Amino acid sequence: MSSLLPLLVAVPIAGALLTLVVGYAADRLGWPLAFASSLLHVALTGYLVVRAYATPDPLRYTVGGFRPPFGIELVVDGFNAAVVGLVAVVAVGVLVYARRAGPHSVAFYTGYLLLVAGLSGMSITGDMFNLYVFLEITGLAAYALVATGDDGRSAVGALKYLLVGTVGASLFLAGIGYAFVATGTLNMADLATKLGEVGYGSTLVRTSFALVVVGLGVKTALYPLHTWQPDAYASAPDSVSGLISALVSTVSAYALARVIYSVYTVEFLSSVAYAREFVLVLAGVSIVAGSLLAVMQTDIKRMLAYSSVSQFGLVVAAFAIANEAAVTGGVVHLVGHAVMKGGLFLAAGAIAMRTGARTVGEFDGLGSRTPLLGAAFAVLSLSMVGVPPAVGFVGKWYIALGAIQSQLWPIAAVILLSTLLTLAYFLRLVERMYFRSGTGAAAGADSPTGTGTATVADGGDDEDPTLGRDDTPTLGRDDDDAFAADDERFGRPSVGMVAVVVVAALLAVVLGPLVSAFEPLLEPTLETLL
Amino acid sequence: MAVDALTTVPPFVYVLVAALLLPVVPRRAGHALGVAATAAVVPVAFLAPEGTFWVTQLFGFEVALFNVDDFSRLMGIIFGFIGAVAVLYSYASDASNKQTAYALSYAGTSVGAVFAGDWLTLVFFWELMAVTSTLLVWDYGGKAVRAGFRYAVLHGIGGSLVLAAIVWHYAEVGSFLFGAATGIAPGAPAILALAAVGIGVNVGFVGLHAWLPDTYPRPHVAASVFLCVYTTKTGVYAMYRAFPEGHLWIAYMGAAMAVFGATMAVLQKDMRRLLSYHIQSQVGYMIAGVGIGTTVATAGAFGHVFNHILYKSLLFMTVGVIIYRTGEESLKYVGGLWRKMPVTFVAFVVAALSIGGFPGFNGFVSKGMVLAEAHYKHLDVIWYLLLAGGVGTFLSFIKLGWYAFYEGSYDGPVRDANGLQTVAMVGVAALCVVYGLFPNALFAILPGNEGGFDYTTYTVGHVVEGLVLFVLGVVAFAVLKRPLDRLGRVPDIDAIYNPLAFYGTRGVVRAVTETYAAVDRAAVAATGGVMWAVQNPADVAERATGRYGAAGGDGANPTSLRADIGTSVLLLTAVVTVGVGVFLLT
Repeated sequence: MSSLLPLLVAVPIAGALLTLVVGYAADRLGWPLAFASSLLHVALTGYLVVRAYATPDPLRYTVGGFRPPFGIELVVDGFNAAVVGLVAVVAVGVLVYARRAGPHSVAFYTGYLLLVAGLSGMSITGDMFNLYVFLEITGLAAYALVATGDDGRSAVGALKYLLVGTVGASLFLAGIGYAFVATGTLNMADLATKLGEVGYGSTLVRTSFALVVVGLGVKTALYPLHTWQPDAYASAPDSVSGLISALVSTVSAYALARVIYSVYTVEFLSSVAYAREFVLVLAGVSIVAGSLLAVMQTDIKRMLAYSSVSQFGLVVAAFAIANEAAVTGGVVHLVGHAVMKGGLFLAAGAIAMRTGARTVGEFDGLGSRTPLLGAAFAVLSLSMVGVPPAVGFVGKWYIALGAIQSQLWPIAAVILLSTLLTLAYFLRLVERMYFRSGTGAAAGADSPTGTGTATVADGGDDEDPTLGRDDTPTLGRDDDDAFAADDERFGRPSVGMVAVVVVAALLAVVLGPLVSAFEPLLEPTLETLL
Repeated sequence: MAVDALTTVPPFVYVLVAALLLPVVPRRAGHALGVAATAAVVPVAFLAPEGTFWVTQLFGFEVALFNVDDFSRLMGIIFGFIGAVAVLYSYASDASNKQTAYALSYAGTSVGAVFAGDWLTLVFFWELMAVTSTLLVWDYGGKAVRAGFRYAVLHGIGGSLVLAAIVWHYAEVGSFLFGAATGIAPGAPAILALAAVGIGVNVGFVGLHAWLPDTYPRPHVAASVFLCVYTTKTGVYAMYRAFPEGHLWIAYMGAAMAVFGATMAVLQKDMRRLLSYHIQSQVGYMIAGVGIGTTVATAGAFGHVFNHILYKSLLFMTVGVIIYRTGEESLKYVGGLWRKMPVTFVAFVVAALSIGGFPGFNGFVSKGMVLAEAHYKHLDVIWYLLLAGGVGTFLSFIKLGWYAFYEGSYDGPVRDANGLQTVAMVGVAALCVVYGLFPNALFAILPGNEGGFDYTTYTVGHVVEGLVLFVLGVVAFAVLKRPLDRLGRVPDIDAIYNPLAFYGTRGVVRAVTETYAAVDRAAVAATGGVMWAVQNPADVAERATGRYGAAGGDGANPTSLRADIGTSVLLLTAVVTVGVGVFLLT
């Protein structure tokens, strides 16, 4: 039944076309059609993921009947099954969230489905050039989605993303080209053997490795290749931020790992001088610099964006360490980070819709203003910091364990340091949310993104009488009045939005203990990869 | 059997029960009870059959609470007898019920210690003795409190060392019982050193002795009578248990104690302080005897324990009477008392001649045994040291008697000892003479006396020796009288280690608290810095980078660390260059 594999890409593309055509005719059918496509995609993915973990061998499909290495091969093994499943589930969650939060345009739904198609394709392809094609599909869909915001910042952010991302993709393409020149093949499995035959000392092979790593490093947003990322995440509409933060960098990091393990192989990593060190330095610098930059941010979404730079440093470091514990940790953190960071972006969006709070300062006393969203945000934050038993802890634990097993003490030290810094930037939010009283509920109520159409009500109204009253500690009935005023000024997140955020928070906690069940499923794949 | 019935209750029980009852009964009845309880120890010790009784579990170890052999029998007899005398003297000297209760608990724990059949029970009572004797000292208040505190600290240290030795002993031997091994675990020098030094605190090894003259002169005069008896003598007994075959170093230490104690005694003006140094000196003879370790030497040591308890308690009683009647502690303020206190004077003379070892008095008998054995064994250094100690003893008691009873005068009415004090003193004085004239009475109860000792008390040589020592003492006093008069208070070793301990402790406390404060300040400052940095990240960035955001610019992030598109591509190119460079150049 591996003939279902191409449908993982085909279903979202078909859904995108259908949504585009029907949506222009009947605006209201856009969301239901996209949702139906996504549900179908989830069902398909779920079936294939279960299949992939049930059989020891990877699921394979040869596209168009052209045999590999000349034809394109689709492969699902224990490694990318997790990523494929993650893409499908997160995509549905974001779509539910976007029902109220917007953007409510056919362009968004189409772009969204194209992004899902690109991400699925990146996840399952077994061909290097095909990977580049899906990388570009993903990239273009993401640029377009970032640009769906209404104000200038979105446009600038998208443009920066487009230019930097395209240069990165081009480097990746150049890397593939060098490898192709060296070996004459593009199939991953075939490349793995041919590269070995050509010899790892070959200039072509080494150059291709550098170009591929840097190219995917741009897409993964490793420091200092991350510059597009905070602008894109911060300026995009909340739904889009959640989607691309959870998936785009994640799948790129997966692609980096896939290329390292399945194309260049672990042997290349350990036999070529500085290959492992190059990746580790890039990752280690990312971990520290990302955290430091995150601490310095005042805008919540920018802070979350820089946090991603740090966390992907962690994931890439895990893949570069390349022992069993580290790779397990890398996969767990890849999935866990997607859930946590996506949840955090969505929660930040919902909180902004409810209270207008978009900066660190405005989070004062948030715990009492939006108890449920506040709690979800706090839980996700703590999970991100790595408080047991949440998934954030488990991932970091395995990675640190792997670093120590390989006696890479600097990396282990960096991981601990990053945990402290993560604590610094998330705990100050939690502290503000629960241990300070709210003052001047969201003075900067005008949404900087101006996206959530429902959020921007009468935010600029500085004459609002509630502002003066909020200076006193908000207790008792005054509280309710203030909330009532909030309700007038701001939108109310839908049940779906809140539910998605809460589910993300619950997942962040529940996935942690489940890792021990996931580990044996991953083991056979790791044995073949390492 | 009637005799077996004596072993049904360990003797320390009577004394401790009396101690518990004393605070709640009238003074007269209480003290009568105390006399009876302590006196009852004498027949029990005398008649109880040899053997080990009351073998039971203490803290989960096998112990024997009531062990009777020649050594514990002798100790029990003299401890019980002198306890009764001391309670009587306490009653006569206006001691309170509470003080006598403490004193009896002290005496009772000492009795428990000497009747212990194992090391654990011994050390258990040993520590209790330290506690009860400290309470006895503290009860008097005033200067006694600080002295008692120093006493407690030193004995705590000594007790811990003994405990360590015993635990080690247990690890080596596997049992606490005396019968399980000869002395303390033989073979490991460190255990022996721990035991010797730990017990050495109690017997007043030179250097470890300062608590003795520091503490004993301070409390009530009757309390001093108790104190001079039990702690040091229990120490001698424990020293024998630990080193039943002797040890040469211990013998040398004993000799050194004899000379050092006597020398320091000569230099004292405070009467009880003088007597306290003599405890150290006399215990030196006993320790020397234990250290020499032959049958006669050990018997001499224990005979000296017996005799010493008699004459030293008598000395403390006579001096106690002087203090009781005059209120003066120092020889400077008393004098010419022999006319006013004839009974006390006679008792003092008997005691002084006994302690000096004058022929015809009991000290001569037992001291002679130790001296003769040192001579016989050709331990010449020890022999000469012990002889020198004898001269010093005579010298200092001539001095004490001279200034207290002969020279000078005391203004004001002074009465002699009261009735019961007289009974106590005369009784003990009589025993000093009896045991001096009839050495066989003592030999009968000495350990190791199977068919008599290879020692004759009254030979010409021994008598001449005693007389020569006395004459030398008289001559020395005549020569040294003037220089001694001009002498102030002579510092002892505690003049060094008390300040050392005080300032050392204070230094440690200061260092600890200051270090803690410094760490605390650093932690608070660091935390404050981190808090500030986290709360004002923009300021930190400004300070760190020197770049200031344009005022009124982007409110979300005033400091522009953002790279524009061009810079981004430049960075990207740089990384690729570095990456390719790294791979191509290596």
